[in-house]
Amino acid sequence: MNKIDYLKELHEELEIESIEFLTMDTNFKDLEEWDSMTAMVLIGFVNQNFNKNLNSDEIEKCETLADIINIKEIKLD
Amino acid sequence: MGSKISNIEFVLAKKELDNNYFKDKFPDYDFEKFEKKVGIKKRYICEENESTLTLAVSAVNKLLKKTPFLRSEIDFIILCTQSPEFPLPTTACIVQEKCNLKTSIGALDINLGCSGYTYGISLAKGLIESGQSKKVLLVTSETYSKYINKDDLINQLIFGDAASATIIEYSKENKIGNSIFGTDGSGFDKLIVRNNFFNKQDNPEQKKYSGKNIYTDNNLFMDGSCVFNFTLERIPSLLNQVLQKNNLSDDDIDQYILHQANKFLLKNVIRKSNLDMSKLFFELENNGNTVSSSIPIALYSYLKDKKSRKLENILLAGFGVGLSWSGITIKI
Repeated sequence: MNKIDYLKELHEELEIESIEFLTMDTNFKDLEEWDSMTAMVLIGFVNQNFNKNLNSDEIEKCETLADIINIKEIKLD
Repeated sequence: MGSKISNIEFVLAKKELDNNYFKDKFPDYDFEKFEKKVGIKKRYICEENESTLTLAVSAVNKLLKKTPFLRSEIDFIILCTQSPEFPLPTTACIVQEKCNLKTSIGALDINLGCSGYTYGISLAKGLIESGQSKKVLLVTSETYSKYINKDDLINQLIFGDAASATIIEYSKENKIGNSIFGTDGSGFDKLIVRNNFFNKQDNPEQKKYSGKNIYTDNNLFMDGSCVFNFTLERIPSLLNQVLQKNNLSDDDIDQYILHQANKFLLKNVIRKSNLDMSKLFFELENNGNTVSSSIPIALYSYLKDKKSRKLENILLAGFGVGLSWSGITIKI
């Protein structure tokens, strides 16, 4: 998956409507849509696409969508 | 020589709580999103006078009302619970008396949660196929609501109280396939009630998780993200291993009936397993997650609406607290 798909697919999966597009610098926990279920969908997304376990402590530590990539050592094309 | 499932019944606890019930106390929570994603609209929890034993007895009596001849034929009770009526004696022993079953009967409890039903079928199959029993009564009965803190919204939304009763009996044609079991005790504290009758605290420290949800060590605690990841890590391969062990493929299976944990999670499991999503059965909407009773309730609902009398292959899989998982195929 490349960076653009990562952001596009997350935008869709997390059902973000409050902003038109996500960037690597988006502070996802500040989004209007962010709640425990968005967190669940994010965990599912990371597991399904990158086969990595993202847990709630790690989400707590992350601020931006780039942080998720870094903390799980995910390589985007 | 083999075994088969010949009868299933279930009961739900009496107190119906729909999502609206929680809205006043938790005004900031997005209940619509919960309903859409997790798939639960309502659940039933115990009234004051209901318990694991009363639910178990109701489920068994409901089954015996349909098939009274079984009362004298059942020769073994396996009762699965994590909320036993008393620390001791065994709840299954009390069910023997309360349901007027014969005394020449084996009875024991097994302590498992969401993997309990599939384990129970497998144990019953073992008893029957080794000639030790002819008709096993498998009971699941769980009252997690008694463990859950009233300020813990998430677990109150997820779990419901229920009991089921299933008859597994001798059959010339074998209709219960081979099982796969799995255990990872390193996750013991991801779904736990820490304090029991020995160390129950009078004024336990209040702890928080996922925002505003409150629990103490006397309550049920679930680390949702860990249990979610565990399921996605283990269950897709479990399903494929069960298929392989029974020489079946995705095409041979008519329905996948998994532990009804969470709709979003179940969809992700099937997607990751590369199995046919259209065969995934859901039965969460009106009962919630009823722990070891969720598979028999779903199986009952599936069979009730089944149109053809054709023998179908169904794959059952349970997973959760322990951490523990198991899967089996049945023909029904």
